[in-house]
Amino acid sequence: MPDTLERMVLTGPVRMSDSGHTRRRILTATGAIMAGATLAGCGLLDDEPDPVPAPDPLEPLLAEALSLAGAFDAAILAQAALAERLTPLAEDHRAHAAELAKVIGKPLPSGGAAGPSAAAPPGSAAETLTALRTAEQAAQKTAVAACVAAPAERAALLGSIAACRAIHVLALR
Amino acid sequence: MNEQLAGALAAEEAAIYAYGLIGVHLTRVSEVSGARDSEQEHRRRRDYLVDRLDELKTGAPPAPAGYRLPFEVTNRASALKLAVHVEDGVAQAWRAVLPVTEKNARNDALSAMTDSAVRATAWRRFAGITPLTMAFPGRPS
Repeated sequence: MPDTLERMVLTGPVRMSDSGHTRRRILTATGAIMAGATLAGCGLLDDEPDPVPAPDPLEPLLAEALSLAGAFDAAILAQAALAERLTPLAEDHRAHAAELAKVIGKPLPSGGAAGPSAAAPPGSAAETLTALRTAEQAAQKTAVAACVAAPAERAALLGSIAACRAIHVLALR
Repeated sequence: MNEQLAGALAAEEAAIYAYGLIGVHLTRVSEVSGARDSEQEHRRRRDYLVDRLDELKTGAPPAPAGYRLPFEVTNRASALKLAVHVEDGVAQAWRAVLPVTEKNARNDALSAMTDSAVRATAWRRFAGITPLTMAFPGRPS
């Protein structure tokens, strides 16, 4: 850190003279930018569309939770015999989606989960369980990566989601 | 961070102690080997934590001489219940480490937490406890 500071102090004036700008011109330019900011702040430039906020890094995890819930719903429809076993797992994913939406600060998409994209998988119960297990394994990796990359205040929630997906892999065995 | 690491260490020590009692009451091969593997795993995590605390120059607090069990362990059912209880406790302790660590250290904490949550699930299944899963493992109930 001291090293960075020192470099900034040393190179600052050098850059100024390199660019050929006088201090006054730089100050004037800054003033113009400030004035622009003030005008925008006053609402005079409201015709400008609001800048699109960057998507929250947890958006993909939320989408994945909803898609997993949908995959379980579809599996339950296709394999009624598995309903008792799979329903609590679908509910876990919905609980994750609700919590992630809260943290991101946006409402859950209406309808909760189970889009038409989650087509009922054909095949035997064993094949259905295998497919769900594979999806959980991939989703666990996503959640681990999200947890490790997250700021401190999100780490515990994302850790629990990752651990839950790992538990599901066992529960589907 | 020291406080959270010390909390995880205390949970691991308690787990090592508990598995000594649990193993006595199990007879099925899969359960006995499960208990043995779990104890080994907790010893490995304990050593990791002792090393981490040494690196931080705080040293590991001494393990208590004994533990008060949450309930009496007299048979297979109560032994399995204690295993679930212990693993849930370890998962909770490691979860508290996540916000105070970064990168590799956080990844290690998450692995430890996940392993305990998975073991708790395996013991629940042996014990026939439902629900088998929970949405937020490690979150204090």
